[in-house]
Amino acid sequence: MTTTEPRSRSREAAGQATAFFDAYRRHDVDAMTDLCADNAGFFYVPFELWGKQRVLRGDGKVKTVGKTIWVGLIASFPDLFATVHSVDANDNGDVVVRCDIGGSQQLAWGAAEPRGQKFSEPHLFIFHVDDDGLIDRISAYWDGAGINRQLGHLEVD
Amino acid sequence: MKLFTRRDRAEDQTETAAEASPAQTVSTFLTAFGSCDVEAALSVVDDSVRVDIHPTGLSEGGAAELRAFLTETATAFPDLVVTVKNLIETGSAVTAELKAEGTQAAGYLGAINQEKHLDVDQAWRFTVSGDRITGIDAYWCQNQLYRRLAVKRLDQISLV
Repeated sequence: MTTTEPRSRSREAAGQATAFFDAYRRHDVDAMTDLCADNAGFFYVPFELWGKQRVLRGDGKVKTVGKTIWVGLIASFPDLFATVHSVDANDNGDVVVRCDIGGSQQLAWGAAEPRGQKFSEPHLFIFHVDDDGLIDRISAYWDGAGINRQLGHLEVD
Repeated sequence: MKLFTRRDRAEDQTETAAEASPAQTVSTFLTAFGSCDVEAALSVVDDSVRVDIHPTGLSEGGAAELRAFLTETATAFPDLVVTVKNLIETGSAVTAELKAEGTQAAGYLGAINQEKHLDVDQAWRFTVSGDRITGIDAYWCQNQLYRRLAVKRLDQISLV
């Protein structure tokens, strides 16, 4: 793992993002959300569930949409892991994290039925940490097709 | 009136290049990419660049693979619009959150042309050394991209 040379605010922001992934690895969703401001924004950009009449997106707030997705993800992948490769931060409170997330599927996840398959996929997380030292925005990007292929789910939903 | 000698201009260009911040270098690349100007985009990319375009499966590629990807994108979406929503500079790393939009006019990443409109949110993380891009990691959801291009299955991308 590489980490950029942090100064004071950037060090604090990087620390908060690192603590977030420490909690993620422990599957401690309450600790993950406690690191975030009450109104923190949540944007899991690839997350789209297409229904017949509407599309459910991974946009909203950490303490509503985010928490629900994390709880569901950990239930579906009980051995979920997050391996951090780099943490880059600046004095504006921005933190960019490159990581791999993966696990073995035990329950349905989105439209993917459980087939006992594993996945490991590169992710990019972008955090913003506010003046109080709390995460007030999380965006994440990954390739959902890469995950679906590994899980054996080949329909483009 | 000031007359510039060839050496003056060379020194001036050197100074300008030295003043470019990593974010400015990345902006030059993205502006050129959005204009489908592959050569201008590559003009700020180092020959030794390491390129990971995760959705395409490209890992540890180089300048040739980057050129091929940019060219395929510019050919498939001649009306490409790249809108940068957020540009974050963290030392020598610059991360761009952007939206790529366009109308398909040729085959793209295995998907045949059905003249569909594409809009996909993406994140590109660049490593910059001096005024040259030396590393690129690109992230987007290929499921979203294929869905917009009317692909039905990941194992039958060229079928409709």
